[in-house]
Amino acid sequence: MGAPMSLDPSELHARDHSGFLAEVQSFEFWFQSVEGYLHDRPYGVAPETPMPELEPERRRALVATLSTYCVGEVAALEGASGMIGFAPNRATKIFLATQAVDEARHLEVLLHRLHELGEDDAEATFEARSNPHLLAFRDRLLRCVAERDWLASVFAQNVVLESMEFAAFHSHSRTADPRTAQMLAGILKDERRHIGFGENDLGRHLRRHPEDRARLQTLKRELDPLVLACFEDSLARLGIAASERPDVGRLYLESVARLGIAG
Amino acid sequence: MTSEDLRSEANFDPAEVAEVAEIEAAPSGGGHTVPAGRRADPERDDAPRPRRRFELLDDTGFDEVPPKYRRFYRRWQGEADALAPNEVLCPVCKVVIRSARELRPGDRVYCMPCMSRLEVVRAESGRLEAIVRY
Repeated sequence: MGAPMSLDPSELHARDHSGFLAEVQSFEFWFQSVEGYLHDRPYGVAPETPMPELEPERRRALVATLSTYCVGEVAALEGASGMIGFAPNRATKIFLATQAVDEARHLEVLLHRLHELGEDDAEATFEARSNPHLLAFRDRLLRCVAERDWLASVFAQNVVLESMEFAAFHSHSRTADPRTAQMLAGILKDERRHIGFGENDLGRHLRRHPEDRARLQTLKRELDPLVLACFEDSLARLGIAASERPDVGRLYLESVARLGIAG
Repeated sequence: MTSEDLRSEANFDPAEVAEVAEIEAAPSGGGHTVPAGRRADPERDDAPRPRRRFELLDDTGFDEVPPKYRRFYRRWQGEADALAPNEVLCPVCKVVIRSARELRPGDRVYCMPCMSRLEVVRAESGRLEAIVRY
């Protein structure tokens, strides 16, 4: 098995596509990328970041929202790790292994933040506090994985779930307390890789097999209400203005439009 | 990058090959920036204007890719963020992609943070945009 070629960085945009993909989907690329923003940040937060005192109502809302995020991260952790078993090639398996590590870290830092907020039994209680729409979404995603349905799994996890998480975390981080905002910022940097992998993998497939769009459109119509309702609820609970909430769906809607599966 | 490397890349235009060849022939220490308006072939009025070159600063504050690639990316500051002629916004992950040369329609660029291959196009507004080429 050959190692991915690492070309002269001055030629970044001139390189061939296969060489580019081999590098960006490699463990080495992942390691050097995350080192830049995770080094010296235990649980995703710089140690000197002050611990804010939150009003009881705001704390309750944050606990509920972080609990919902935990369910999303567990779903992605189980999804990504399960997909390794039927991923189509070695590079994709390695990328999914890095994604599984990212999702595990997200779950860990979210649970740690819940502990900081006084939720000593967070691990046992986050699911009960989570949004029911997301629990239904998780079950549907994991059914796709259990059926070893690659297209449906990539779509549900890396396009739908990841892009909604990306947008929701981004909106949330703008109004969050400093520790939560920093933790979310680190997660967002990981999510960029995950959404990009999903859209590009599906895009390459659909270019060769446009007939598969109809099946993904059907799945999209099934999943959309679950995820949109979930993140709408979470952001409303956090007091994020209704005028900002359409932004949450925009990234996802743009992605499915580019893939030709909107509607 | 040598002029031979550029010739092997279909999306590099001949004017740029000429421009890079001039830079290669220049005495050592010749900068990376060619003055705007300089022609690849001064005998031809219709010759395309050579692309401007840009020196990319090492530290843009972008830390999501390995250090050697960070100068090719920077954070987008939102709609009010005016992009330079060597920059284009990734439509997938909303990071600004930077090149060492002025970008033109038909150019290919890569977004490493989200692993996308993109093509530069001229939008109806006249602005350069990037579209995903799966």
